[in-house]
Amino acid sequence: MTANTSIWPNSRNCAVLITVNLDAESVDLHEAKRENLYGRYSYGRYGMRAGASRLLDVFRAHAINATFFVPALDAENNRAVIDSILEDGHEVGARGYAYEDHSRLGPLQRATLEHAHTVLTKITGAKPVGWRAPFGLLSTETFQHLADLGYRYDSSFQDDDYPYVVDCGGGRQLVELPTFEALTDATFYNARHSHSRVLKVWKEEFDAMYSAGHCVNVTLHPRGDYGSGRAIRARVVDEFITYMARHPGVYFTTGRELASWWAGEHPQSEPVGANLVPFDAALARG
Amino acid sequence: MQGKYRWPDGVRCVVTLTVDFDGPSHETGRRLTPLGVNSHGRYSGRRGVYRYLDLFEKHDVPGTFYVPGYDAECYPAVVKEITRRGFEVGAHGYLHESWDVGEQEEELLRKSHQILTDLTGIAPLGWRSPSGRKSGRTVQVLKDLGCIYDSSDKDYDLPYVVRVDGKPVEGMMELPSSAFSLDDHPFYKFSMTPPSEVLAHWQQEFETLYHENGYFMLMVHPRSGWGSGTPARARVMEEMIRFIKQHEGVQFFSVAGLAKWCLHNRQHFD
Repeated sequence: MTANTSIWPNSRNCAVLITVNLDAESVDLHEAKRENLYGRYSYGRYGMRAGASRLLDVFRAHAINATFFVPALDAENNRAVIDSILEDGHEVGARGYAYEDHSRLGPLQRATLEHAHTVLTKITGAKPVGWRAPFGLLSTETFQHLADLGYRYDSSFQDDDYPYVVDCGGGRQLVELPTFEALTDATFYNARHSHSRVLKVWKEEFDAMYSAGHCVNVTLHPRGDYGSGRAIRARVVDEFITYMARHPGVYFTTGRELASWWAGEHPQSEPVGANLVPFDAALARG
Repeated sequence: MQGKYRWPDGVRCVVTLTVDFDGPSHETGRRLTPLGVNSHGRYSGRRGVYRYLDLFEKHDVPGTFYVPGYDAECYPAVVKEITRRGFEVGAHGYLHESWDVGEQEEELLRKSHQILTDLTGIAPLGWRSPSGRKSGRTVQVLKDLGCIYDSSDKDYDLPYVVRVDGKPVEGMMELPSSAFSLDDHPFYKFSMTPPSEVLAHWQQEFETLYHENGYFMLMVHPRSGWGSGTPARARVMEEMIRFIKQHEGVQFFSVAGLAKWCLHNRQHFD
C-alpha cells in the first residue's frame, strides 16, 4: 500500500478515473410523465443543454479523457451531446435504457440490457464495454448478462481501494472499478451542501488516497440539481482536477483502459456475489 | 492529582477505541442485497478491518472490534485475524438487527455468541447493541452467556454497575457511548463534514473529557461510505491517537480490560 511499491503502470503513484453519469430525462421520467417534464422536472434537461458542455470544456482544458455512462434513452434524445463527447475522445459506457432498477427487473433484465446495448452501439458506432448500474442497484445475474454481452467492467460498487476481477462462470470475467460516494457530487448537492465544502472534502479524501496509492474514482453528473453542471460547480471540478494533476505520478485514465490493464495484470478472480445469504435463509441457518 | 473520577493510580483519563465491523449484515438485515450502492459493508471485510488492525498495532494501542455474527460468517478469516493479533472481539447482533426483535432476542444473542466463540476460540466478554436497540431482558442473557459488560447505553459519562429493576446485576458493567458525537456515522452520513473538521470536533470532545478526568470512548465503522474504513477517515483516527498520546496520564484500554478494572473497583462505579 505504500506509494514506493507502485502497482500502477510505469510506477505511477495513483490512478484517477473521472466518470460522468449522464442521467437526464430518464431520471425525471421516474417522477413525472413526459408531458410534465417542465419546472422541477427539468433539471435533467439542464444537464444536456448546459451542464455536459461545461464539463467537456473542463476536461478539454486539462487534456484528459473521461468516461460517460449514459442511459440509452437519454442518448437517443440527445444525439448531439453524445457526438460532442465522442469527438473529444471520451469513452461512452452503458447505464440501462430508461434508468431501470436492474435488481428488480427479473426475467426482463436480459432484454433490457440487450436493448440498451443495441441502441447505444448504434448511436456511438461502437459496443460499450463498461456499465454502471442506475440507482447503483443490480443483481448477480446482471454480471452474468453483462459478461455474455461482451462487457469488460462494471463500476457500481463501493467496496475496495483497487479494481478487482470477478468470475462470472464459464470462463467469463468482469473487472469491478469501485466508486466512492464521498467523491461523488450528488452525495453533497442532494443534501444541499455548499460547493466549497465539496471541494474541501474532495481534496482531503484525495490526499489520503494518493498517499496510499489507490484508485481514485470520481463521479460527476451534469444535472442542474444534484450535479456539477452549473458554472460554479464546474469550477469546483476544474479546481479539483488541477489539484490532483499537481501531484507527481497521478495519471488520468478511462474505465476501458484501466479495466483492460488491470485484467491483464491480475489473473486471479473471485466469484460473483460471494457470501450472499439473504435475510430469511441467514436467520434460519444453524 | 485527585480527579473527579477514580482511575488507576496516575491515570487522569481513560480511552477506549472501538470499531463496529458492520459488514454486509447491515444491508442484509434491512433486506437489501449488499451489492452496488449497498456494498459499503463489504469494504469492512476487504480493507477496513485490516487497516484498523495495522493502525492500532503501529501505535501500540488496544482496540475492540464489535462483530455481527453474519459478518463473521461472511469473513471468518478477517475475524480470526482480529483475535490472532491480540485484539478484543465483542458481539454486535447477528444481522445488525434494525427491527424490533421481540421474542427472538435471546436466540439471536446466543446465535452470534456461539458463532464468535467457535470462530475465535474465545467467548466474547461484551456486547454492543446493533442500531442501539436493547431491552430490559438483554443484560440477563448476556450475563448467562458469561459476558461482563454491555456497551450500548447513552445515559452517562462514566462506566457504571448495571441495574435491572433497581437491583445491581453483579459482575456486569455498562460502558456507555455516544452515537451522536463520538461516532463517525453522523458526520459522514448526515452532515458530510470534512474529515479535518471531524478530527477537530473529536479533539475538542477529548479535551473537555480529559479536563474533567473522564472516560473517552470513540466509535468508528471500517466501512466505505458513511464509515471510517477509507484512508482519509482512518487518518483521523491516527491523528486522534497521536493527539491523545500527547496528554499526560492517559491510559488506553480494551473495553473488556476497562470493564474488568471497573468491576474490581466497583465501589467507584455504583
